[in-house]
Amino acid sequence: MLSAITRAFRTPDLRKKLLFTLGIIALFRLGSVLPTPGVNSENVAKALQQAQAGNSGSIYGMVQLFSGGALLKLSVFALGIMPYITASIILQLLTVVIPRLEALKKEGQAGTAKITQYTRYLTIGLAILQSTAFVALARSGQLFPNNNLPILLNEDIFTLITMVITMTAGTAVIMWLGELVTDRGIGNGMSILIFTQVVAVFPSELMNIFRQSAFKFVMVMIVGIVMIAVVVFIEQAQRRVPVQYAKRMVGRRMYGGTSTYIPLKVNQAGIIPVIFASSLLYLPQLLVTIFGRSENPGPVVEWLAQNLVTGDHPVYMATFFLLILFFTYFYVSITFNPVEVADNMKKYGGFIPGIRPGRPTAEYLNYVLTRLTAAGAPYLGVISLIPILALAVVGASQNFPFGGTSILIMVGVGLDTVKQIESQLQQRNYEGFLR
Amino acid sequence: MAWVPQMIRRLLDKPGSVDLTRFQATVAEAARLESEVRARPELLPPAEAAVGTAEFCAVVREAAVRTLGQRPYDVQLVGTLALLHGHVAEMATGEGKTLSGALAAAGFALRGRRVHVISVNDYLARRDAEWMAPLYQALGLTVGWIGQGSTPEERRAAYSRDVTYAAVSELGFDVLRDRLRTDPADLLVPAPEVALVDEADSVLVDEARVPLILAGAADPGRAAPEMAALVRRLSRGYHFEVDDEGRNVFLTAKGTDTVETALGISLYDHPGTVAEVNLALHAHALLTRDVDYIVRDGRVHLINPSRGRVALLQRWPDGLHAAVEAKERLAPSETGEILDSITIQGLLTRYPEICGMTGTAVAVGDQLREFYKREVAVIPPNRPCVRVDEPDRIFAAADDKVAAVVEEIAAQHATGRPVLVGTLDVAESERLDLRLRARGLAPVVLNAKNDAEEASIIARAGARGAITVSTQMAGRGTDIRLGGAAEEDGDDAEEAVRRLGGLYVIGTGRHDSSRLDDQLRGRAGRQGDPGGSVFFVSGEDVLLTAYAPDASLPDADADGVVRNPQAASTVGHAQRVAEGANLEIHRNTWRYTRLLERQRDELLERRDRILHEDTGARALEDACPERYAELRESAGEAAVERAARQIVLFHLDRCWTEHLAHMADVREGIHLRALGRLNPLDEFNREAVPAYRHLLDEIGRRSKETFESVDVTGDLAGQGLARPTATWTYLVQENPFGSEWDRVLSRVAAALKGGRRRR
Repeated sequence: MLSAITRAFRTPDLRKKLLFTLGIIALFRLGSVLPTPGVNSENVAKALQQAQAGNSGSIYGMVQLFSGGALLKLSVFALGIMPYITASIILQLLTVVIPRLEALKKEGQAGTAKITQYTRYLTIGLAILQSTAFVALARSGQLFPNNNLPILLNEDIFTLITMVITMTAGTAVIMWLGELVTDRGIGNGMSILIFTQVVAVFPSELMNIFRQSAFKFVMVMIVGIVMIAVVVFIEQAQRRVPVQYAKRMVGRRMYGGTSTYIPLKVNQAGIIPVIFASSLLYLPQLLVTIFGRSENPGPVVEWLAQNLVTGDHPVYMATFFLLILFFTYFYVSITFNPVEVADNMKKYGGFIPGIRPGRPTAEYLNYVLTRLTAAGAPYLGVISLIPILALAVVGASQNFPFGGTSILIMVGVGLDTVKQIESQLQQRNYEGFLR
Repeated sequence: MAWVPQMIRRLLDKPGSVDLTRFQATVAEAARLESEVRARPELLPPAEAAVGTAEFCAVVREAAVRTLGQRPYDVQLVGTLALLHGHVAEMATGEGKTLSGALAAAGFALRGRRVHVISVNDYLARRDAEWMAPLYQALGLTVGWIGQGSTPEERRAAYSRDVTYAAVSELGFDVLRDRLRTDPADLLVPAPEVALVDEADSVLVDEARVPLILAGAADPGRAAPEMAALVRRLSRGYHFEVDDEGRNVFLTAKGTDTVETALGISLYDHPGTVAEVNLALHAHALLTRDVDYIVRDGRVHLINPSRGRVALLQRWPDGLHAAVEAKERLAPSETGEILDSITIQGLLTRYPEICGMTGTAVAVGDQLREFYKREVAVIPPNRPCVRVDEPDRIFAAADDKVAAVVEEIAAQHATGRPVLVGTLDVAESERLDLRLRARGLAPVVLNAKNDAEEASIIARAGARGAITVSTQMAGRGTDIRLGGAAEEDGDDAEEAVRRLGGLYVIGTGRHDSSRLDDQLRGRAGRQGDPGGSVFFVSGEDVLLTAYAPDASLPDADADGVVRNPQAASTVGHAQRVAEGANLEIHRNTWRYTRLLERQRDELLERRDRILHEDTGARALEDACPERYAELRESAGEAAVERAARQIVLFHLDRCWTEHLAHMADVREGIHLRALGRLNPLDEFNREAVPAYRHLLDEIGRRSKETFESVDVTGDLAGQGLARPTATWTYLVQENPFGSEWDRVLSRVAAALKGGRRRR
C-alpha cells in the first residue's frame, strides 16, 4: 500500500489530485481551529479542558466526533458537514413524499442537479438555524454547563449576527470544499472530510493519554492497531456468489473462472447499525439529564442512571451489543432485498448456476446472507465494545480515541480512497512482453 | 433589447451562447470587399494566413457565385467562421448547411489541414462532394468521397485528397481494418486532423455510443430453428414476461417448466441452452417486424431508430441476429466473432479538431461540452421563422388519437395545403396509410421499405394537395420546397402553397428526444416560408407507458381529448425521463469503453512498432535465441523477421479479440458489485487491468510457442478477415438497485404506499 502511494506521487496527474486533496484538507483543518470573530478563545480553551477532565463533554459526543472538536471551539467551521448531511437526508426523504421531487429524480442528471441545488439551499437554511442555536447557547453559558467563564467577548447584536453569518458561510465553504474534492481530487469529498474530522482528534487525545502514563499509551496503541487490522481484514471479507449471464453466445474463453458474481460482505450493513445503537442509547442519558434534577426522580430514572448511563456497566454493554445485533439484521434486510436482486437478475438473463431464477434464487441469496450476517453482526458488536472493555481494563479516561464508530469510519473511507488511487494507478504502466 | 437575454445566457455560460459579433463584423467587412473581388478576372485562393478574415469570406463567396451560381448569405458565412473556430453551428433547416460546411472545409484545407467531412450516409457524402467539387477546384483544392462500394484503391485516392467526404461508418470501418493490417503498404487512413460533422447532434450524441464492429467470419449462426419453434408456443404473461421499458424478456417459473419438459433437461445446469432460449425469446418478444427490422430479399435488415432508415451494415450482436433469422425462418447468414470495435465517439475524439453543424444543437449543448469540449454557436436564420407551432393535442386513448389524426389530415388536405405526417415506425406509417386510403385520400408513404424513391417523394412533398406519410426518414436532412421542387411546378405553384399557409407537419407521437420533434417541425417553415406543426399524443403512447408509468394523465373530456394543462407537463416529463435515461446510457458506455480504448491505443502503439520495425523479431530472438539462430541459418534473416512479424501480429490480434469478449462478459454483470458497496466502474477497471497484463503475457507465450514449432518458410497467412459488420448495443444499467439510500427509501415508500392502500 505504501508503494502504491509513492507510485501515486510519481504519476503527475495523480500527484496533482492528491496534493489538491491534501491542500483542501489543510484548509478545512485551518477553518476548524480558526475562532469565529467575537469568541474569547482563551476562555473557550479553559472551558474545554475542564469539560474534558469532567465527563460532561459526552453530551455532544456524536456531533463532536463528526466536527473533529471544532464545534465546542466555536470555530469558523464549527458546524462541520452535519448540516449538509442532514439536508441530503431530508431531501432524499422528501423525494418519497413530494411528487415533484420524485419526478425530478427520475429525469436523470438534469433533475438530480436541481435536487443537489435544493440540498445546498437547505444546507444554508439549516446552518443558519444551527449556528443561531449555538451562538445562543454560548451566550447563555449553556454550552459548557460546568463553567462560568464568559465565552463571548461582546454580546451585542452585531457581534452575534457576525458570528451567525461567519458560521453559515463556513458551512457553505465546507460544502464547496467537499464538492471540489469529489470533482478534482481523490475519493468522495464528503467522506474525506468526515475522515479528516474523525482522525483530527487522535493526536491531542493520544497526547493526553501519554501524559497520564506511558504504559497506558502503549496499551492503547497496541489495542488500536490490532483493532484496525481486524477491521481492515473483515471489511474486505466477502462471499462471492457466482452469477452467469446467458443473453449472448460467447466464443472461446481465454480465462478460467468467472468474474461475474455478487459480492456479499461479511459486514454487509457497514457502520449504520453502530450509529443507530449509540443514538438509541443516548436516550436514557437524555432522560436522566432531564428528570435527574428533580427532587424525586422515581425508580425508573434511578435504574437508568445506574445501569445505562455509564459505558462500563455490564447492562449497558449487553444492551449495546444486542442493539447492534438487532440493527445489523434490520439494516441488512432493508438494504439488501434478495427478491429484488433475484428479479433484476432474472430480467437481465442472469442466474446462479444450478439454481432457478426468481424465488429459488431469492431464497438461496437470503440463506447465504443470513448466515454471513450471523458472523458480521457479532463482529460489529465486539468492535464497538472493545474500546469500552479496554478502557475498563486499562482505566483510560472516557475519551479513548479508538471508538468503534471512529475506527469503522476511518477504515471504511481509507479503504475506499486507497482502492480508488490503486484503480487509477493501474490504468497506467502496463508492463511485459514487447515493451 | 434582444441581446439582453443572450448576454445573461453568456454570463451563466449556458450552451449556445457563443458570441457571434466578431464573426458578424468580419462578414460585414466582406460585403464591402464584394464588388472589388467580383471585378477580379482570376480568383486566386486566399493565403493560409488569410483564412477566417474578411478577404477570405469575400473570395470564397465569389468562388461560390462563379462555380455554383449560389451567393452565400451573410449568415452562411457567419456559420463558416463559427465552424472554423471549432464550434458546433446550429443552423435552421434550409439555411444551406452544406455550403457553409464546404466553405469551412476549404478554409481548413487552405491552412494545410486534411479535412474529413463526416456525412450521415453514403448518398449524401457522394452528393455533397460532387456538388461542391467545382468550388473546391476554384480554390485550388482537391476533393474525394467514399461509399460502401468503394474499392481500396478508390479509398486510398479519396483519403489522399485535401477534403474527403465519407459516412461515419465507412470511416470507422477503414480505421478498424487498418488496425488489423499485417503489411504497412495496405494502410489506408491517414492521421486524423480535422473532422467536420454534418447533423452533429445525431452523430456526436445519439449514435456516439454505437460501437462499430469488425467481425471475422466464423461458422454460420448457431440459432437452432427448433428453439424459435419452441418459444413460438409460449405466451406472454404466462410463460414469459417483458419489462416496462420493453428492453428485456424473461421466462416465468411456468415457462421454465414448459421449456424443461420440452427439452428434457434441467435448464439452469446448461448455460449454453439458457442463452439459446433467451436469444430466441428476445427475438420473439422484443423485436417486431416492421418496427425494429424489415425482411427484404430473404434477409433481415435493421432499422435505425433515430433515422427511420434501413441500417445496411448493422447486425445484432452475439447470436441475436441468427435468432431473428430463425424466427423469420430465413437461412442463417454468417455470424462473426468480434475482432475489434470502436465507438463513434472514440473514432471522432481521435481528431484534434472537431466542428459540426446541425439544426438542433442547443438541446445537447451540455453533452457536446462534456464529451467533446465543443461550444454551440446559434446562427440566426437568414429570414426569421414564421412557422406556427401549435400545442400538443393529447388524448387518453390511442384509438381516439389516430381518428383525430386522420380527421386533421383530411381537414388540412381539403384546403389544398400539403401535409407531412411523421410517424414513429414503419408499421405505424403503413397502418395510417391504410386508414387514409379508406377515407378516399391518396397519401404517399416514405419509409425504410421504399427508400429508393426517397428523392422523388421529397421533391413532391411540398406540392399543393400532397399528403406524405413518413417515418423518421423525413425528419432529418430533407429539404421540402413549397410547391414541389420539380421544374414544371414553377413559381406560381410555390406562391399558391404559400398563400394556403405552407407545409403542415403532423407528428403522430412525441419522440423520446425533443430534438427529434424539433427536427420534424423544422421541415416546415424553411427560409422564412409559412408553415405549421402539431403533435398528437395519447396516454397509451410508448413514451408515456415506458417512461412515466406512474404518472397518469388527467381525465379526458367526453370527446377523448385531455385539455387539462397538467397533461402537457406529464408528456414533457416523460420525454425528459427518456432523454435522461439515454444520456445516462451514453455516459456509462463512454466510461466503460474509455478504459478499453486506452488499452487499445496502447496495444496499437506496440502493434505499429511490430508492423513497421523489427520489434517482433527482436522479442522472439530474446525469448528463444537458439531457435532464432537456427532459423536464421536455414531461412535467412529477412524471412525470419517477416515470419516473426506475422506470428506476433496474429497472436496479438487473436488475444485482443479474446480480451474484448472477456471484458464484454465482465461488463454485463459488473453492476452486481454495487451490492457489496463497491463502485462498479472501479471494479471494472480492477478486472480489466490484470486481464490486459495477462493478454500481454499471453501474446508473448503463444508467439514463442508458434515460433518454436512453425515452418517459417511455409504459408503463414492466418485466417482471412471477413467483411466487416456493424452492430447494435444493448445495455446493462449501471446500478439498477440504486444507492444504499435509494434502497432504504424505496422500502419506506413501499411501506407508506402500502399503508395508504390498506386504509
